Amino acid sequence: MGFTRREMLVTGGVGCAALANAWFSPANAAEKAEKDDTAEFVARQMGRAATESVRLHLTMPAVFPTGYTVPMDLKVDSPMTEDDHVKRISVFAPQNPLIDVASFNFVPRRSVPRVSTRIRLAKPQFVVAVAEMGDGTLLMAKTYVDVATNGCI
Amino acid sequence: MTTPTPRVLLPSGATKGEVFQVRTLISHQMETGLRHDKQGRVIPRKIINRFACRYGGVEVFSVDLHEAVSANPYIEFYLLAMESGRLEFLWEEDGGSIYRLEHQLAVA
Repeated sequence: MGFTRREMLVTGGVGCAALANAWFSPANAAEKAEKDDTAEFVARQMGRAATESVRLHLTMPAVFPTGYTVPMDLKVDSPMTEDDHVKRISVFAPQNPLIDVASFNFVPRRSVPRVSTRIRLAKPQFVVAVAEMGDGTLLMAKTYVDVATNGCI
Repeated sequence: MTTPTPRVLLPSGATKGEVFQVRTLISHQMETGLRHDKQGRVIPRKIINRFACRYGGVEVFSVDLHEAVSANPYIEFYLLAMESGRLEFLWEEDGGSIYRLEHQLAVA
């Protein structure tokens, strides 16, 4: 990398100032208010509708100081038998410049539908998880995460 | 860029039917392709785009990673102990490089 420490600090400082401006603008509040097109978003992404479910647990901090490494825990209540198992969990960050975050693939009777990782978020937003079950049904969960800095640069 | 170094932490043994935790980490910049250098040129995307875990030769868990996974991707997951065997971990990078680690698991 061609960045010196000094350059990093200077560009970082400028970026923070710009973000602080965006932070206090009324547009931010408006964004938070409009919110709930999540169901529509999921239908568009997956090609069919998903039902919000208490079986799928998406756990993230409600407020986090940096958007670079936001912890994320995913868990589905499932016996993981051939008849009733989770095939895949896909995670989306609809307000990121690139909305796909990651997909986790599971195998019945071998893996447990539970993962933790760390993701980048560009701005405060709803993070959406969609679990694709063995029988093709889609389960959905979302959680609002308020990040103070843009993690997508 | 430094060479990505994969690391894995899991128990050396488990009892049959037990669920055990696997923690993996690879040091990697995860360049998103959204950044520009000082001349204004786009820094090309270079991320780990796939992670897979094989247990006794069978793929039991995998992840498709996109740009929004943090640098130095950490993945923690859980497997069912079935039989003693080799666990293989693979990280696939943009451009085709593959980083791998192996681990022997004893199941009693």
